[in-house]
Amino acid sequence: MPILEVKNLTKTFKSTPIIKGISFDVAEGEILGILGPNGAGKTTTLQMLLGILTPTSGSISIFGKDVATNKSNILESVNFSSTYVDMPWRLSVKENLTWSSYLYMIPDRKKRLKQIMELFRLEKIWNLPVAALSAGQKTRVNLARSMVNYPRLLLLDEPTASLDPEVASYMREFFARQREAYNKSIILTSHNMSEVEELCDRVLILKDGLVFDVDTPANLAKKIEDCYLSLRLTKNASKLDELIRRRKLVITVNEGITRIEIKEKMLPLFLYELTKLNIQYSEISIDKPNLEDYFMKVAKDKSL
Amino acid sequence: MKLHRLWGLFLRYYYNLLRSYDRLTDMFFWPVVDLLMWGLTSQYLVKTGALNNNIVLALLGGIILWIFPWRGQYEITVSLLEDLWNRNLVNLFATPVKFIEWITTLMLIGIIKAAVSFAFASMVAILLYQTNIYTLGLKLLPWAGLLIVFGWVFGLLVSGIILRYGTKIQTLAWTAIHLISPFVGVYYSISTLPAWAQRVAAYVPASYVFEAMRSEIAGNPVPLSALLAPFLLCVFYLVIALYLLIRSYDHILKRGLISVE
Repeated sequence: MPILEVKNLTKTFKSTPIIKGISFDVAEGEILGILGPNGAGKTTTLQMLLGILTPTSGSISIFGKDVATNKSNILESVNFSSTYVDMPWRLSVKENLTWSSYLYMIPDRKKRLKQIMELFRLEKIWNLPVAALSAGQKTRVNLARSMVNYPRLLLLDEPTASLDPEVASYMREFFARQREAYNKSIILTSHNMSEVEELCDRVLILKDGLVFDVDTPANLAKKIEDCYLSLRLTKNASKLDELIRRRKLVITVNEGITRIEIKEKMLPLFLYELTKLNIQYSEISIDKPNLEDYFMKVAKDKSL
Repeated sequence: MKLHRLWGLFLRYYYNLLRSYDRLTDMFFWPVVDLLMWGLTSQYLVKTGALNNNIVLALLGGIILWIFPWRGQYEITVSLLEDLWNRNLVNLFATPVKFIEWITTLMLIGIIKAAVSFAFASMVAILLYQTNIYTLGLKLLPWAGLLIVFGWVFGLLVSGIILRYGTKIQTLAWTAIHLISPFVGVYYSISTLPAWAQRVAAYVPASYVFEAMRSEIAGNPVPLSALLAPFLLCVFYLVIALYLLIRSYDHILKRGLISVE
């Protein structure tokens, strides 16, 4: 049974539709990534899930309860973190986590805060005011705050933006472990495609307020048919030109490397033809399409 | 309403107060400035024979009691502004916190701060001018109660306006209560107002408290029952203000809490 169900959700601002009837769900223990170009409606969707933006129509149910009528109850087991939302900057990290913790029913508050401090490596900044922290440290504290109530569902809006690579990687591992150990569900938006590929079970692509696609990162990447074959040619380069012309392929040459854009399913035959024509090369690499390629195609292609 | 959430919100504003010297000092600064200015002026007038000690007590009592509506309003509106400046409203309402719990906390903090400011200002009046407002007795409690509810009315109304229109009208957070003060008669009797203003003052619950205080000082005590009607009027205003604020909150939920920041 899904932990979250969104049905026909719409949001219109001053007669401009921003979200145009989207439906999706998230299973217990699933990590769902929401991707989309700027203005696609990602943050608007997250806000509606949190009950801080009223939908124009449609329904959101979390843990089987309607968000519109059970918001407070539902949010006991939900939390979120966004790089775009600040904490009271005069308060120390400890004070911010302490007051936030009282907004939830937490059995052993002191123990939990100590645990959070250690998990998020906050010891050195524990007593510093938020105003004195770097952007990365603030993000870390925000993430720590989002874990304080043992959330069953976590909404993360660009969780690792402004973190240095080492801490970002630690955080990704942390969330993956949380999901495995406690079966937590996570919805995240990110512009870091490798992060989404690494963490998410499924990716929902939003475009112009509509669900453009939902699938696993691997399946989405497979929807790009073209891949890139790069060769450093050593013999019979002219025969390759002829072959390229015949097959109507696109090539680019840069620093002695010939890069050929070719449909993935055509690749075995193409390699066979190279051998047959005695076209020799000293280096070869094949770049298979990934989620980023798919995302770029979706973002750029106005006809989609 | 859940007590642990009220406590969490209380801690949030308490920690902020401890770390905000501006918020900490303004609990004491303005009452003392008013007391110094009016106290010295009235002492001068006493020396010239233009005033007697009862009028001094009425003037200083007015300043001290005015703390209640002022703090009641100020605490709600300035706390809202701080949450807007801190971009913290989303953090607050993407939690189980209910809007009414947040408002309740701000109201309660208003009472505590008003009580502290009142205690401090009344001590200053005793020390500097040997004027003791506590001679008015236990009636101070219901008077203070009505005045703080009156302050809340303005706090809620102004908060509703700020929520709808944003921080571009934030000046109201500090000044709103003073707009009504001419009709309250903090320092003078309502009878000194022109007839039309007296009619307005009749609908201003706080004006009855200051009239009652002056009557009490003049030796004509006003029974507490006389304040029942203005108190009910004040509660009526409070219900309307609360309704309008909740309407404003619902309105900004349609735009999104992020938009108001």
